[in-house]
Amino acid sequence: MSEADKMDVIIIGAGPAGIACAYILAQAGKEVLVIERAETPGAKNVTGGRLYTYALEMVDKGLTEEAVLERKITHEQIMILSQDKAISIDYHDPSFNREGQVPQSYSILRAQFDEWFAAKAEEIGAMVACGVKVDDLIEKDGKIIGVVAGEDEMYADVVIAADGVNSFMAQKAGLIKDISAHQVGVGIKEVIELPPDTIQERFNLKPDEGAARMILGCTEGIHGGGFLYTNRESISLGCVLMPEEAAAHGKSVHEIFQDLKMHPAIYPLIAGGESIEYGAHLVSEEGYRGIPQKIYREGFLMIGDAAGFVINTGYSIRGIDLAIVSGVAAARAVLNTSASDQVGPAYLQELKNIELLPTMQAVDGYADLLAIPRIYSSYPRIAVGVFERLFTVNGQKPNSLIKNTKEVIKSNGVSMWQLFKDVLRGYKSI
Amino acid sequence: MSKIIACYKWVADEADIRINPDQSVDITKAKGKISDYDKNAIEAAVEAAGKLGGQAVTLTFGNAGAKPSIKDALSRGPEEAYWVKAAEADQADGAVTARALAAAIQKIGDSSLVICAEGASDTYARQIAPRIGAILNLPVISSVIIMTFEGNSLVATRKLEDSLETVKVELPAVVAVLPEANNPPLPGLKAVMAAGKKPLTEYSAADLGIDFKPRNQVVAVKGYVMNRKNIIFDAGDSVSRVKELAAALRKEGVL
Ligand SMILES: Cc1cc2nc3c(=O)[nH]c(=O)nc-3n(C[C@H](O)[C@H](O)[C@H](O)COP(=O)(O)OP(=O)(O)OC[C@H]3O[C@@H](n4cnc5c(N)ncnc54)[C@H](O)[C@@H]3O)c2cc1C
Repeated sequence: MSEADKMDVIIIGAGPAGIACAYILAQAGKEVLVIERAETPGAKNVTGGRLYTYALEMVDKGLTEEAVLERKITHEQIMILSQDKAISIDYHDPSFNREGQVPQSYSILRAQFDEWFAAKAEEIGAMVACGVKVDDLIEKDGKIIGVVAGEDEMYADVVIAADGVNSFMAQKAGLIKDISAHQVGVGIKEVIELPPDTIQERFNLKPDEGAARMILGCTEGIHGGGFLYTNRESISLGCVLMPEEAAAHGKSVHEIFQDLKMHPAIYPLIAGGESIEYGAHLVSEEGYRGIPQKIYREGFLMIGDAAGFVINTGYSIRGIDLAIVSGVAAARAVLNTSASDQVGPAYLQELKNIELLPTMQAVDGYADLLAIPRIYSSYPRIAVGVFERLFTVNGQKPNSLIKNTKEVIKSNGVSMWQLFKDVLRGYKSI
Repeated sequence: MSKIIACYKWVADEADIRINPDQSVDITKAKGKISDYDKNAIEAAVEAAGKLGGQAVTLTFGNAGAKPSIKDALSRGPEEAYWVKAAEADQADGAVTARALAAAIQKIGDSSLVICAEGASDTYARQIAPRIGAILNLPVISSVIIMTFEGNSLVATRKLEDSLETVKVELPAVVAVLPEANNPPLPGLKAVMAAGKKPLTEYSAADLGIDFKPRNQVVAVKGYVMNRKNIIFDAGDSVSRVKELAAALRKEGVL
């Protein structure tokens, strides 16, 4: 092994996790190499896309201002669909876009964002090698000491797996098994181009404002949901579904997504737009309990999606910010620990200090709530049914709201006892 | 050491170019890339340096946007990069480009071989190699698919319409290669890492002292619709229909 073949740290994957980690390590003067299989960072990455800015600020103060972002999210929306009907909730908070403050979150397009972020890390001194796939890890005396890419071998004190969901590197390190279907959802996303004015009109936005929308009841009863983000000149629309249930259902994930696009409450939002991107990707769905038992071994750490750091509460998906934050935690552990076998435990401690693990633990119950199958089938129907009766005026004597609700619940085949149990379960979960 | 210079152009990736319904062409969202055929020129230079001895280097004439091309080009094996960095590249015609490259080649100094692609993947004007040869008063061999060396001579196989021609020329010379010349491999990890550390020399427009005024001006770029001829041969039995089809295809020059 020559001097030239050895780095301080090698990071596999130039997603938000890998780049955030590289940025901090390079800033502290470490020799760090990021290896990315795509020709340019982010070229193939699929995400919804909303980024919470606190995470970027944690990497470097003021970074948000330079970042390649789309719109400040000032409208948080929830939509419940059933047949051709829809209930929409729009929470508008202008304080999410206050003069002189960093807005809470932005919509982003990953191809642009990742490329910018990687260039930023390079500027600071990290080396980013694109178009190169890591094939294997090199192990010696029980310690990970390097990587193999094609014919080449490179060595490092620490190898960090930031290679995303279903991490091949973590499998190679023996820390996770190949993923099983109930642990992941399949996400599909389409980017639809529209003029900025049209987007602002359709979503009632100011020129720099944006909307983030979660959509429930659009999955034909399958565990999952839809999402929509407004970008500057496009809309990101997609859905996430559990593949096992989708397979049993008979309709393809693609067909269910097409139905969502054609829904009378969705279609007018995208009408006349041109589809410029279509992609699919896995999302881990298990939250805190999906984190592998061990996320490190000597010479090796897992960050971001590779470590299962995704929160899905049904009203928001958070993966990008957690990826960045875990990259920060890993970098801190590497910088503050000299004994090689102590880096892993230090990383775990940093994840606690930085509140990543506590945050995931706090919302762990959502997984139980979201496991109730009726959330995706009868409950959206009941909600829409109640609204239907509420807003129907035909000159006849209306029933009381309670009576109406009871009837709608019964007509959807749900017993009061079942409903009571689910409410109790929901209450306990969250 | 004598240099083998591969010239390349940084072009808009055709995969990202969009033709709007009114036939206007939108390249604003297109990423840049090294023209595909020029990757063959770079690989040919690396291979030639291996056989002939000398140092493979790259040369490009492009605006500031061509920056990412340097690392990409160097990861493919050449040892040094030269960049004529000038906004004038945007309006350049074949004559201006060839003048800029020829002036840079003279500045680079001792070179035994200049290798271009037959044409760039955007305009495919096939002007650069012949024009460089004319400016520098060097022999030019086009449509090359094989290069071997005998002492200080290049023996090149040219691919013609339906035959192969072998020519021999004393170096220095200018060569235009066809894509069949080689299969450029994907750069490996160490090659990509090494690329960032190799030397780059930049020339400005003023350094070259040449006339950048193009005499050709691009007036418009528009998409076009290829109309199908929609001919159906449905008269007569199947034998005569096939005969008619073959005759029609022959008339169009496709058979
Ligand atoms: C449809 C969908 C919607 C989502 N919506 C949101 C959202 O709105 N907000 C949010 O915060 N999160 C969202 N997420 C989750 C978010 O995208 C991920 O959590 C986040 O991208 C994780 O970042 P990462 O850096 O860990 O991994 P990734 O972004 O997946 O990056 C991994 C990188 O590693 C590279 N790589 C993999 N293997 C190798 C190898 N062997 N060699 C070299 N390189 C390799 C890949 O090319 C990739 O660039 C969504 C996900 C999906 C699928």
